[in-house]
Amino acid sequence: MSYGIEVFNSSGTEIFSSSDSTWTLLGVFTSNADTSTTHTGVPIMPTRIVTRVMVDQISGDDESYVHTFSLSGSTLTTTRPHATETVKTIFMVFGK
Amino acid sequence: MAYGLLVTNDDGDVLIDSDFTHYHFLGKYTHSSVTQIPDVSGGSDAYVDEGGNSPNQNKGMENMPSKGEIYVFSVPVNGANPPMCFIKPTSTGSSAPFTGIVLTKQSGTNWEIRVFQSTVTSASPVLYCFSPLSQVSNSTSTTYGLKTFDSSGVVTFDSRFKPLRAVGGGNITSPGLAHTGSTGSSWNVSLSVNASSVSTSFTSQSSASDLIYYCPSLAHACQQYTHEEDDSGTFDWESYAWARGDIWWCFYRSCFRIASTSSFEANYGVYARGHIYEHKGDSSSVFAGLILGALTGGVYFAAILAAIVASGTFNNAGVDGGNYLPYENSYRNTSGNAFIISKASYYD
Repeated sequence: MSYGIEVFNSSGTEIFSSSDSTWTLLGVFTSNADTSTTHTGVPIMPTRIVTRVMVDQISGDDESYVHTFSLSGSTLTTTRPHATETVKTIFMVFGK
Repeated sequence: MAYGLLVTNDDGDVLIDSDFTHYHFLGKYTHSSVTQIPDVSGGSDAYVDEGGNSPNQNKGMENMPSKGEIYVFSVPVNGANPPMCFIKPTSTGSSAPFTGIVLTKQSGTNWEIRVFQSTVTSASPVLYCFSPLSQVSNSTSTTYGLKTFDSSGVVTFDSRFKPLRAVGGGNITSPGLAHTGSTGSSWNVSLSVNASSVSTSFTSQSSASDLIYYCPSLAHACQQYTHEEDDSGTFDWESYAWARGDIWWCFYRSCFRIASTSSFEANYGVYARGHIYEHKGDSSSVFAGLILGALTGGVYFAAILAAIVASGTFNNAGVDGGNYLPYENSYRNTSGNAFIISKASYYD
């Protein structure tokens, strides 16, 4: 590496480097079942991704939609696709 | 930022920002048990031997595709934020099984994670889990490294606990239907996964077998095949009538694989399956309308399924009771599944 930063442990093994890519956690947001929710205060970084996790077990007798979303500026808008068949969804927003 | 540490690379990506929490290595976990969703199978036979040419074949799970298996993990991370669990799959390449996290559930001071693999293998997937430092209880005696704090004095980055290092990522879309084309003929069902895998690329790496991925399963599909026949006439000087109606179904969950050093693929595995039927015969008179019209997902089948579930069929897998036929020949949640790629060797 000709420039940047490298972090080593006491054994000399590289632990982190500015040639890496990583994702910083910007926020965790929960949208409850069957509810559309707008979350605000999402920090802004040059690149962001939103991961969704369907919480708890899928049941055989519901359709288990996860919320759809849009992220614009500091607002994460989550939308229930179905009024009664949408599961609780955790959104984790990462940035880099 | 007015003060603190901000590290960026030459692409302008933020690598370390002391204002924000970073995920750190929690540990490497093996499963505590393996399970499968029990089949829902059964039916009602009444006087079928009196039905002349009444068909009696394939009343079990014949011709049904094999189910995948579910690995159960318990990750000791107490806190509101679920751990990020990266899967180290049993193998990679274009013939590797597909694997995905199908359950994330807080259970006391642990999080229960269930990993679904599309085919049964002798080897098992391993989880590499990450969590914010506030939820990491690991200790270390080393005093070397880099540590950052936010304006409240909370540690946000600590190199001693192996921060998450990503080597790739993006979004992937799962296929729509898991099975395309004919779903069966007569009393023979055909519901195996035959959808083409969806592929997306990431920054090329040197070794596919070293890669781990984070991509919770969101998509699912449910498909069924139904068949019904009836006949009546005279046989051996006796009038007869029979009717039989069947419904076979599979519930599929999306899962993923590392197809190469730069390719990530999505497809489905058979998560649950079932077959129920009603078969009746009579030797004296026709019985038009006895069951016809109540077939294929109607009230009658719902009642049979409810009875099977009530008898505890699903208890072994510890899942909620239900009829496992939430919808017919369709799919849900196929788009916008974010994934992140890292390397196992960073943490081994």
